[in-house]
Formats: sequence, C-alpha cells, structure tokens
Amino acid sequence: MIPLYGFLEGDTIGLLVLANADDSIAEVARKLQVAARLRAAIDGPVTVLYDGKPVHAASTVSEAGIKPLSRIDVRRGPAA
Amino acid sequence: MIGLHAPPAVGACCCVLKRDDWLDLARKLDWELSYVSEREAFPEVQSGHPWLPHADWAGWDEPFRTSYPEYVAGQHAKEASVAAVREAVGRVEDFQRLPRGWLEGLKLHAATLPLAEFAAVVGNLRAARFGRDSAWRSAALLGALDEMRHTQIPLTLMHDLVRWDPQFDWTHKFFHTNNWVAIAARHLTDELLLASNAIEFAIATNFVFETGFTNVQFVGLSALAHGVGDRMFEKMVGSIQTDEARHAQIGAPVLATVVKHDRRYAQYLLDKWFWRSWLLFAVVTGFSMDYLTPLEHRTSSFKEFMHEWVLDQFLRSLDEFGLERPWYWDIFLEGLDNYHHMVYASAYSYRASVWFNFVVPGPEERAWLRGKYPASWPDYDPIWQRISERWRESDLGNDFAVHGTAIVSFCDLCQLVLSNGTPRANTARVLDHDGRRYVFCSRPCQWIFEQEPERYAAHKDVVKRVLAGEAPANLVALVQRYFGLDHDTWGKDAFGGDYPWLERRPA
Repeated sequence: MIPLYGFLEGDTIGLLVLANADDSIAEVARKLQVAARLRAAIDGPVTVLYDGKPVHAASTVSEAGIKPLSRIDVRRGPAA
Repeated sequence: MIGLHAPPAVGACCCVLKRDDWLDLARKLDWELSYVSEREAFPEVQSGHPWLPHADWAGWDEPFRTSYPEYVAGQHAKEASVAAVREAVGRVEDFQRLPRGWLEGLKLHAATLPLAEFAAVVGNLRAARFGRDSAWRSAALLGALDEMRHTQIPLTLMHDLVRWDPQFDWTHKFFHTNNWVAIAARHLTDELLLASNAIEFAIATNFVFETGFTNVQFVGLSALAHGVGDRMFEKMVGSIQTDEARHAQIGAPVLATVVKHDRRYAQYLLDKWFWRSWLLFAVVTGFSMDYLTPLEHRTSSFKEFMHEWVLDQFLRSLDEFGLERPWYWDIFLEGLDNYHHMVYASAYSYRASVWFNFVVPGPEERAWLRGKYPASWPDYDPIWQRISERWRESDLGNDFAVHGTAIVSFCDLCQLVLSNGTPRANTARVLDHDGRRYVFCSRPCQWIFEQEPERYAAHKDVVKRVLAGEAPANLVALVQRYFGLDHDTWGKDAFGGDYPWLERRPA
C-alpha cells in the first residue's frame, strides 16, 4: 500500500489516498474523487499531476515512480 | 542597586513613604552577584539569546509598574465583579437561551483557552526567574498569577454546563486528549509557553501572541458577546483582557533590546511566531466570527476585524521597532481571504472528529460572506451548495450521510489539516529531510521547520501515527479510540440538517 497526499481541484483539504503499486493513475484519481465528493467534484476529464507534471492515466503508480507520501493533484482537463 | 532614592529628611512629615519613593525597592532591585557569575545565574539556555550583561537591560521598564498590594487589590475587585455576573447570569438556564451557533463557538473557545493559559503560568514563571531585569521578573510573576486566574475562570464557568451538555466537558479534557486539534494546540503551546526561554517567551507570547492577537481579540469577542446577549462570556473575556493588557507590556521592552543587539534574530522570532499564532487564531476566531455567530449579531467579518484590530497595530509596531513585514506577508494576506474558510468547510465535513457542533451557512449567510469576501467566496459557494444538496437528500439528523470518510492529512509543523492556499491551489508541499518525508501546509510552515529541524523533526502528525500503527486507520475507530470522542460528544450539525431555508425532497 502506498499512502499519498491527494488534492482535488476545488476541494479545501488534502486527503490520504491509499494506492496500490499496480493501481492505474486513473484509479488513483477515482479514489480521490470519491473521497472528496461531499465537497467537490469535477465533471468531465481530469489530469493527474505528480511533482507538478502530468502523468499518464494508464500507467501504474509504480511505473510513474510515485513514492510513498508524495503529493498528487487531480485537476480539470484532458487526461494525459 | 537601582532606583534607590534618598530618605526624607529627619523631622519631615513622613510616616508613610510616597509610592514612588518605595516602589522601585520592591520591583526593580538587582543585586550585584558575588558567589556566582551573572552567566551562571542567568544561563542563556533559560534566559535566551542574545546573552547580554545586566547593564544592557538595566533601563528595562514597563508602564504599569504594579506593586503586589495594588495587584492583589485590583484582582480582588475583578474577581468580585466576575462572581457577581456569574451569580446573576451564569446559570445553565442563561446559557440555554443563547443562539445555538454561538454556543458552539463558546465550546471551541472554552476548550482551547484554559489549559493553554495554565501552560502560560510556566512560561511566565520561567521569565520571573530568568528574565534579565528585576522589573521584568516582577511583572512576569504577576503575569503567572494572571494566567492561573485565566485557567480557573473558564474551568469554573463551563463546569456548571457539563450536566446539560457533555461537550462542555472538553473545556478541561481537550488538552489531555490526542484529538487532532489538541495535538495542534499542544504543538503550538508547548513550544510557545513551556519550552521557550525568557526572551523568546517575551517576544513570542507577550509581544506577538498577546499584544498582537489575543489582547485585541478579547476586546472584539467581548463586544460580540454583548451583541449576542452572552453577558457571562462578555464579562469573562473582558476581565481576562485587563490582565493581558498589563502583562503583555513585557514584550515591547524586551523586543527593543533584542532589536538593538541582534535585529536579525528579532525579525526571525517575529516572523515565526506571527505565522504560528495566526493559524490557530484564524481557526478559533475565524470560525466564531464568520460562521458560528448568528448573522444578525455580526458587526464585521473576520477579515475586517483582523485589518482593524490586529494588522494596523502590528504594522505600526514593526515601524516603531524598525523591523520588516514578515517575508510571507503576501501569502498571509491571501490567507485572510481563504484560510478559515478552507478549514471550516473541511472541519464541517469531518465534524465528528471534534467536540463542538457546526452550522451550514444558509443563503443569507452565504450572501453576507460573498459581500465580505468578493475575491475568494465564489470558490467556496459551490462547496456549500454540494453539502446542502447532500442534506436535502439525507434523513434529518443522519449526520454520517453528510460526512467525510477518508483519513485527512496534516501539516508536519502546525499539525493542522492541509487546508492552506485556495480550493484552486492548495499550497501543501513535501520535503525530504534526513531520510524522512515531511509535508507542510504552506511555505511559511516549511520555512519554520527548516530553521530549527532538530526542534520539530521527531514529532509525528496524525497520519504518521496511523501509518506507524499507533492510531487506528478506520475513521470511526480513530474518532472514538484515539480522539477521545463518543456519540454524546462528537461534533454534529447543530441543527441536524433541519434548516428553514433547506427544502427537502418529498420522501
């Protein structure tokens, strides 16, 4: 399990997202959107940023080289 | 020996000395040490930096120059006055008549105040021993007695309310728990009040926290309480404020000497403590002023209050001492428009993790907030619309249908939630230090950490405790077993979602 700090655009707080190494980036984005949906939601496509740079939605957490306790952002926009 | 005056001539009418003829013998009397050196009697680790010979502190003074008999007489009168108001309007029935939202703000203040004041007894006593001039030590000793009083008054007043509402029990319980707000409050007050040396205490507590924030906060809160009709709270904070106004005066003359000998260090202490004080202050006072006080009783927004009562005075003080605005001033100004809104919306959706209840801002409140925060409120309105919509679809009183379920994350410096910045751009940042990963809510929190990492690095925030297996990962278990709350005490929607403006969908 890889704990990550997730920030959804439009939300007011960072949430702990527990990702698996083989989760796709799209799945991580979905987990964060579910966790934040009481306060914020993004209609339409999203893009995920790691270290401020977009990561491919189909790649896995380990392929993207995301380390535990990193910051990821889920923002409006077409998936990478 | 300082300040001795010649005795009156023999034969003069002099049965009793005039106050000014004896006062400095009692409050400003520094001995020349012969058995130990000055450095041994006042070691830097306790007295603080910069270490200077007493000659550099000899001109230290403060305007109140209170003698002990005057102190006792004055405090006795204040106590009698508080007791009289308590007798008249301090009963449970009097509190039961107050607006619901206001009572929640009262619980928030009541929990965060008294045991922080108790910790301030220790800080003042350290200054009463290790302050570098006797007048400073005398004033700090009275400050310690003040803080004892500020502990006892809220504990006494709120104790009577526990039989009516068990959340008031957190007035005493709060600082003894691992509740996330208590962890944050302890992280601040342990450093500010228990661990600081006499110089840092004077600048951080007396000058920044008390002169800058709480002294004027108490004036503002007292006025707000008057408007709401809470005469007991009005009296309590008004009475405490008169003590604060006196012992807060210790800060300026200490700061003046530090500026003269090490301006850079003075600027550092100011920058660090203004930011640390601001974060907790914004949560406690920002919630009360902009959300929990009923709309008809609000006289100004939290932001307006900060500008009028805190910033104008603080900036004037900086000019007076020839100091600069903190380097993060623009970040702070953006925070005035956002920070307490970010934390309130977050805390509302995790209200079971705290010991007081919350109110959803309705259309009129939101219109008021839009007028007061035109630049930032458009980012918060959609959040409250979503929360309102969720209530519309949920059963009345079913709080967990309108509640977050994920574990939230916390700053490794302030220990508050990662809610700095704006909904468009949260300012959290990750730092690797000595093989460990830290996260901070903002650049100033990271900067404070990096100035003295040895001071902060070993502390674990709630998430790190969960990951280390010290705290449960399940939210309900975390709330009950680690935060110390149960169904009677955890925070709920103050109205159970039953707002007159919220039309519910037919079942």
